Amino acid sequence: MMSVRIRRRVVLVLPVLLVGISATVSADTLDRIRGRGSLRWGGDQSGGAPYIFEGSDGKLTGFELELAEVLATKLGVRGEFVQGQWDKLPQLIDRGDIDIVLNGYEWSPERERQWASTVPYYVYKLQLLVRRDGETIRSWDDLRAGPGQARKRIGVLIGSAAERYILERFGDAVALKPYDGVTNAMTSVEQGQIEATLQDVPIAIHYAPEFPLLSPVGDPVAPGHYVILVERSEDTLRTRLNEAILGAFEDGTLKRIYEKYGLWNADQLELGRIARSWPPAVEVASTDSSSLPHFGKLLLDAAAMTIALSCLSMPLAMLAGLLVSTGRLYGPRWVRWPLELYVEFLRGTPLLLQLYVIFYVLPNMGVRVPAFWSGVLGLAINYSAYEAENYRAGFLAIPRGQMEAALSLGMSTWTALRRVIIPQAVRIVIPPVTNDFIALFKDTSVCSVITVTELTGMYSRLSNNQPHLVLQLGLMTSVLYLLMSYPLSLVARRLEGRFKRVAA
Amino acid sequence: MIDVRGLVKIHGSQRVLDGVTFSVERGEVAAILGPSGGGKSTLLRCINGLETFEDGFVQVEGVTLRPGGARRETAETLRALRRRVGMVFQQFHLFPHMTVLENVLSGPLHVLHVPRAQAEAEARHLLDRVGLQEKLSARPEELSGGQQQRVAIARALAMKPEAILFDEPTSALDPRMAGEVMSVITDLARSGQTMIVVTHAMGFARNVAHTVHVMHEGRIVESGPPVQVFEAPREEVTRAFLSDVKTEGPPAR
Repeated sequence: MMSVRIRRRVVLVLPVLLVGISATVSADTLDRIRGRGSLRWGGDQSGGAPYIFEGSDGKLTGFELELAEVLATKLGVRGEFVQGQWDKLPQLIDRGDIDIVLNGYEWSPERERQWASTVPYYVYKLQLLVRRDGETIRSWDDLRAGPGQARKRIGVLIGSAAERYILERFGDAVALKPYDGVTNAMTSVEQGQIEATLQDVPIAIHYAPEFPLLSPVGDPVAPGHYVILVERSEDTLRTRLNEAILGAFEDGTLKRIYEKYGLWNADQLELGRIARSWPPAVEVASTDSSSLPHFGKLLLDAAAMTIALSCLSMPLAMLAGLLVSTGRLYGPRWVRWPLELYVEFLRGTPLLLQLYVIFYVLPNMGVRVPAFWSGVLGLAINYSAYEAENYRAGFLAIPRGQMEAALSLGMSTWTALRRVIIPQAVRIVIPPVTNDFIALFKDTSVCSVITVTELTGMYSRLSNNQPHLVLQLGLMTSVLYLLMSYPLSLVARRLEGRFKRVAA
Repeated sequence: MIDVRGLVKIHGSQRVLDGVTFSVERGEVAAILGPSGGGKSTLLRCINGLETFEDGFVQVEGVTLRPGGARRETAETLRALRRRVGMVFQQFHLFPHMTVLENVLSGPLHVLHVPRAQAEAEARHLLDRVGLQEKLSARPEELSGGQQQRVAIARALAMKPEAILFDEPTSALDPRMAGEVMSVITDLARSGQTMIVVTHAMGFARNVAHTVHVMHEGRIVESGPPVQVFEAPREEVTRAFLSDVKTEGPPAR
């Protein structure tokens, strides 16, 4: 029990302590930056020109790199670039891996709820790009399909303003193809996988020489603002950055940098005026939870895609695996080492890489496979290697005497396999094969990198655009995956029971 | 009808078969005896092509097997030979996922492509002959060892082979079951089936076989009618082997 005097002193000291602590906390990030001596800024350098990218001399360059250096200097530190995947950069702020995101991030009301933004440092527009010799699209109106025509396929960067623009303006009238990189989207237009792509003007300008088959169509649209993102509570940091940006605008530094990359235009003159009425008012969220059913339906549709990919590729994988394993064990000598190579190569390289090759590399050799079938093919081929090994183990587990007895009756190897060995091996391989099938369901998620929107890809897109619903969306997605996997486990158990009585 | 000449099989540095020559006439019952490791099973497995050999040849009714292995012998040749010569194994090797009837049907249905009704009638008859007519829809795992071996014999007979090779058919069975099986084989022998039997069942060799061959270290050291080999063996090896058998006590078969 404390005496009255001590209690009074504690009561007086406590508020002072608390004020002191909170003062320390709010100045923390800026202090930490100054203490560290560097401003850590996040960007994505793959397909990142002209924002940040590797120049021809191998050194990092880009207009945002230069801008970051300028801003860091004004804060009294140097800039430190941190690489991350473009659509996931803001989450690196949450993790504490970076202080700010400075990478062509458009201001959006949804993001404003999670992360604070500085005043804009660039005014950009969106440019439509098509194949120079293609005849289908000559203007924005041509994007909509005529009666009886197939929908036009448009590639956009996942999570970008271009993606939102297409979704809002065109909805289902076009087939939206999400890409994880801008150069991939432009490559696909050149290869004919898609009809058009919508990119930010800086990108369209910078990459024009590298993609000679592309040409712009229609006027640039939808003026937007690139902003720097900081953590929600970082008022001090944000204020300092705003001062730095406006300072760079007024003393002509921004103009100098942008002209160097061919990005300066009349739109940029508005930056000062825009800064004075920044940020725009954010409407209070009204339709959040009621959109959950809508998102649920989108997730359900994407789950259907996951099921389609899995149910088409697994039987193919099993068939191919059976051929490979019987060839390795019972085939002529000369066929064995190529099959062994097949298995080792497919098991030893990542599925993601194999999908990339099928979707992006094969067209260069004249073989163009549509995105969905590329996914099915890639999954089937990759998993066939694993199934081949499962079957090989199953075959080897059957006693040699079974094959000898079958052969002694005058059966051919093929007949012996079909009538004697395989029926017994089936029971042994059911657990590993069904295990693989369940894994395959999850592995379909890599198909999102070749523009097939399956369940994980859809979750990623929705959670990017609705960051405040990440938890709910994540739960719905997990439940959908479980609903798909669990019945498989039950089927597997029933099959095992049915085949139980065939032990040798 | 079965001719084996100068058969040589080398395994690593060991000559498992060191120049084996013998022949079996149609209707003849040949027993092959000898200490373990003498190459008896290997000889049988070379005759029906389950093993390859390095020198010599095997001839069965016009089908010839030559040295060199699977690369030389075409699948055709092997299948032709195996249709003429059936085999019964020490471990029975019945197909566990089939019933007794289906096991016996497997050859006629899937190799000879005999119409099902006919094949089934013949199979039932064979199973009757080996005393298993009650067990048609049983699975191998439900049968005793002796019963399984009898099914295996019926399965081999279903192919109507010219000759049957028996590779120690009763070595995995206890004396009573061995007796059941041995009596089935004896019936077969008495009905004129050509057969080569590798066995330790001295009673059979003595009383049923027409010819006895003694194998030792990859060679046939002595051949002759049972009376001669058992009562008046010419070779020291044969004498030693037979005396070993006597001191152990002949198996109560």
